[in-house]
Amino acid sequence: MSKKYCIFITALFCAFIGVFLVANAVAPDRTFSEMENRNLEQLPTPSVKTLLSGEFMKDFETYTTDQFVARDSWIGLKSATERALGKQENNGVYFCDQNTLITRFDQPDSQKVTDNLNYVNNFVENVDIPVTFSLVPTQACIWADRLPEGAPNASQTDILTQAQAAVPGATWADLYTPLWEHKDEGIFYRTDHHWTSLGAYYCYTGLAQALGYEPVRLDSYTETIRSTEFYGTVFSSSGVRWVSPDTISTYVPDTGITVVSHTYDNKGNPVEEPRSLYVESFLNVKDKYSMFLGGNQSLGVVTTPNTDKPKLLIIRDSYTDSLVPFLTPHFSEIHLIDLRYYKLSIQEYIQQNDIDQALVLYSVPNFVTDSNLLWVAR
Amino acid sequence: MVFSSLYFLFLYLPVVLLLYYITPLKWRNLLLLVANLIFYAWGEPVYILIMFVSIAIDYTHGMLVEANKRKGNDRGARLAVASSVVCNLALLFFFKYWDFIAGSLEAIGLTFMPKLGLSLPIGISFYTFQTMSYTIDVYRGDAKVQRNIINFGTFVTLFPQLIAGPIIKYKDLGDQIDYRKHSPEMFASGVQVFVVGLAKKVLLANNLGMLWDVYKALPTGELTVAGAWLGVLAFSLQLYFDFSGYSDMAVGLGRMLGFEFMRNFNYPYISKSITEFWRRWHISLGTWFREYMYIPLGGNRVSKPRLFFNLLIVWAATGIWHGASWNFLLWGLYFAALLILEKAFLGKILQKLPAVLCHIYTLFFVLVSWAIFAVEDFGQLGAYLKAMFGMAGGGLTNDNVWYYFSSYLPMLIIGGVAATPLAVKLWGKLPEKAVKLVLPVLLLAGLIFSTAYLVDATYNPFLYFRF
Repeated sequence: MSKKYCIFITALFCAFIGVFLVANAVAPDRTFSEMENRNLEQLPTPSVKTLLSGEFMKDFETYTTDQFVARDSWIGLKSATERALGKQENNGVYFCDQNTLITRFDQPDSQKVTDNLNYVNNFVENVDIPVTFSLVPTQACIWADRLPEGAPNASQTDILTQAQAAVPGATWADLYTPLWEHKDEGIFYRTDHHWTSLGAYYCYTGLAQALGYEPVRLDSYTETIRSTEFYGTVFSSSGVRWVSPDTISTYVPDTGITVVSHTYDNKGNPVEEPRSLYVESFLNVKDKYSMFLGGNQSLGVVTTPNTDKPKLLIIRDSYTDSLVPFLTPHFSEIHLIDLRYYKLSIQEYIQQNDIDQALVLYSVPNFVTDSNLLWVAR
Repeated sequence: MVFSSLYFLFLYLPVVLLLYYITPLKWRNLLLLVANLIFYAWGEPVYILIMFVSIAIDYTHGMLVEANKRKGNDRGARLAVASSVVCNLALLFFFKYWDFIAGSLEAIGLTFMPKLGLSLPIGISFYTFQTMSYTIDVYRGDAKVQRNIINFGTFVTLFPQLIAGPIIKYKDLGDQIDYRKHSPEMFASGVQVFVVGLAKKVLLANNLGMLWDVYKALPTGELTVAGAWLGVLAFSLQLYFDFSGYSDMAVGLGRMLGFEFMRNFNYPYISKSITEFWRRWHISLGTWFREYMYIPLGGNRVSKPRLFFNLLIVWAATGIWHGASWNFLLWGLYFAALLILEKAFLGKILQKLPAVLCHIYTLFFVLVSWAIFAVEDFGQLGAYLKAMFGMAGGGLTNDNVWYYFSSYLPMLIIGGVAATPLAVKLWGKLPEKAVKLVLPVLLLAGLIFSTAYLVDATYNPFLYFRF
């Protein structure tokens, strides 16, 4: 090969690594990735301590990966390449039939499952109000027929059976049957790990007996389409860019309902932040599911006009956010506690607020990996 | 620091290359030394001190050997060599094997050696072997003594081959440290080898490694015969592309800086015998042991029993070099046994067999060896080997195996073809015009896809922390 051509190849390579060196240096750092719904690593400041421990280097590596120019496009290119190479999953998400992305469900740590069930059982035994307990089977279970052929998929129904038996003092509500019977409907999002309002409705019928209400018929509500452009968390983690977006709908009107989120400011003083059943501003950002009740909160209190109805406490994960609207006709107050943030005594909370009954409701994948359930028994 | 990372590719490398080429020739080794130290300190900010100690020890010993030789004091020179070897092996022993021996003694009830819990300095097995070669080469007269400590430090720490080889002997590199040529031809060929290596590591090895991880993590009893073989096949390709990819990147980077390193892998999986396999696999390690251990022990020119004994010693050492764990020793002895059998009679039989049977024979024993290499715990290893031979009761195959097999089939085919010289042969047959047109496209594709996989890096292991 001629000298000229070798200079060309040399220049090509140096240009490639040089262009990205400059681009990365020039491009402003992002603090948050909408696509991945997480904070991105910022440029770490070195200190003698972090340099010697190697912590600085580790942070710097994450920083270069997180802040790499056009990060989202590179991730999209990788997942497209993976699919072209015959892969049927990327980053723990299966590419499924019917335009669906489903997070893998692997065999959970059995010790953790037992521990978490024990915590719930302790909670049930220590409070003197009736408790309903249930777990929500997710896409990997209900929509298993959409998974790639032979794809590894641990049993969620085994977990349901184990959970029902482990907490004999609580009323078990079967949510598998109502979801399974309607599995051909859009009960889950195709790009998000949550259920849709429709799925939440069927769960609401499944909870009726245990919570003691007569469910409102679905056709007495009108469906309101809130967004047709929803790409959820599974979409983000998969890196997949070829599926169509989901639609978010609601059924229950929010007239007369107030929502207050209780948090603390950075000085530790209690703060009350008004929210609502549907916080429409979230429809303009990527994390549209947070439209339901305005997303994560430590403690939320939903007050309805039905003052003669009982008060319900829900120990919850985010699946509950889209279920709450359906529960509003049957309760005067619905108290929502997220154990990831709420670390005070639940027993005391029940007494202080005259709670009539409690519901412990998690999705199966959240329940088997949750590390905060020990707080329920405190 | 590892080559297959964004900060290396898009920060360290362009900056080092730029500074290197704007620095006047006589200062380049000093610049390289500083760059090397930053490269190493990035991963080992504290253990870099060991590197300094190692440089100081071998630099002084080299001078001692030379001074004694000049005075005609062979005994003194030998003593200096011995002292250098002892120092290097002591460093290696202390950091790599202390806890292993302490743990093994503890298992039989001897507790006089406390466990230290020290982490292994990256690359120590590579650089102690390189520095040992220096004093020996000086003694043997194969290399001139290096009086310039900056040049010597540059040799010991040379970043392209610092942490994962190839293990370069001083006699092969010493002259290049003192004087080397830089040319666009050399740089361009370096670019090609580097990009091939990068793609091997990032696109092939990491991908196939995920398949191996599935089977490595599977509980005993769920492992089927087909699954166990699929897993070990994936590991064999992962290790080859990972290791040879690293070596290619080292050779490529070396050429960009004007160095010519030896080739470390030569399509090992096309071998027709285990003897041939070891002439093609990790060549720099094999030649190191041959030159500094096997031949000094007498090599081939000894009686049969002594030959077999030599093989056993050399392969036990080779095995344990790969990691302070019994399975690596077993792995070395496994190859010793096969090599002895081939030297005794099997080699002659293989020569008469059709090539395809020789390939099957070699691949079979190599695949089994990778199971021994990859599974450190003897209980798990036993279970894995049983599963491979259908004695674990997991059945022949199941749906999951089919899922993984079909998902990875294109990767396995690409990997299988890339492990043979086929593509290189076809490339050589292309008319020069076509090569000139296709080469930049392939290089860019390799860089772009590797970057995409690194940006979305959920899986990018460094396999040589044990070495």
